Amino acid sequence: MLLALAYTPEQAPVEQIAPELGANGLPYSLPIHPNLVHLTIGLFVIAIAFDVVGALYPLEKRVFRFLALPITRGGFHDVGWYNLLVCCVVSFFTVAAGFYEMLTAVPLPGVTSTFGLGGMTTMLWHGVGGVLVLASIVGMTVWRGFQRFAWRRDMGRQVQWLYLGVGVVMFAVIGLHGTLGAQLAAEFGVHIAADQLLQAGADLHTALP
Amino acid sequence: MLELLPPLNDHNLPWMDTIHPIVVHFVIAMALIAFVFDVIGVVWRKPPLFEVSFWNLLFATGAIFVAIIFGQVEAGLASPYGAARNILDIHTTIGWSLAGVLSLLSGWRYVLRSRDPETLPLSFLGAGSVVSALVLVQMVLGDKLIWTYGLHTVKVVAAMREGLI
Repeated sequence: MLLALAYTPEQAPVEQIAPELGANGLPYSLPIHPNLVHLTIGLFVIAIAFDVVGALYPLEKRVFRFLALPITRGGFHDVGWYNLLVCCVVSFFTVAAGFYEMLTAVPLPGVTSTFGLGGMTTMLWHGVGGVLVLASIVGMTVWRGFQRFAWRRDMGRQVQWLYLGVGVVMFAVIGLHGTLGAQLAAEFGVHIAADQLLQAGADLHTALP
Repeated sequence: MLELLPPLNDHNLPWMDTIHPIVVHFVIAMALIAFVFDVIGVVWRKPPLFEVSFWNLLFATGAIFVAIIFGQVEAGLASPYGAARNILDIHTTIGWSLAGVLSLLSGWRYVLRSRDPETLPLSFLGAGSVVSALVLVQMVLGDKLIWTYGLHTVKVVAAMREGLI
């Protein structure tokens, strides 16, 4: 540790609003961030996947003809564009909700994750990583927009191979990032009422509805 | 026979962490966004969006069967307690029902798209709104199993193995 804390406050900042929070450490019963994450991840992955399908169209058209499923290449690229656009907008709320909920997060003490990290370190990586993932999604949406409306406007394949490559790399980044988030819940018990109550020594049969 | 099964970890799972919540990203996001694109397509008269929602709906329908397979395995290993047992039962029932409902909706959509990909009857939007509501209810139930009852979390699994719950 390069810098030691200059002083340790007698009361953690979260204590100031603790009376207003439930057993899960939130002023409401279910966290919002993990639900918005469904949209961010689902929309991003499917956007890239359909651009890949659009890019490989010459190889697949016989398969779709066999399936008697009428398709257009532009239709696949429309999925790639509109899904990414919505993903970009929604992800601002995903990150905002994540930061709000991180402010009241209390990871279980003495736990080390599968990655060998502590609770606070995992939260810091997940928080900073979340902003970087959001920046990447925004950047890719702008890039995708330029390809769709300017650079490749009249071309059948609406996306560059490099764009698809970056998209696939982002799958891995988001997978790793999501794993950190999952560890915060399943290993550190962040915002999980049952885990927090067990830590407080409560009996779940009487403490939970 | 039991020794042939893979050992369970501290999440009470044979694999690293729950897979069901990962797969449901694609059911939730694709089913909901399909409805949103349908509404925008009708209100703003943008038929290209119908194609986007068609593919999203088709993907949601495929993904829900994968979600159910992992959901059943993980539910079987979840050891629900108290009210979580009841919630898991309802979640399972709605999950299977949604697979049927989404398949029907996709089939209906396939026929509509084959006839005229540029228009969408209001009755389909009505059905889409009901399915979206069902997806939201299902999300809340699944959320309760994790965020209230902590099924498959290390702390709850440890308490379960110690006989505390």
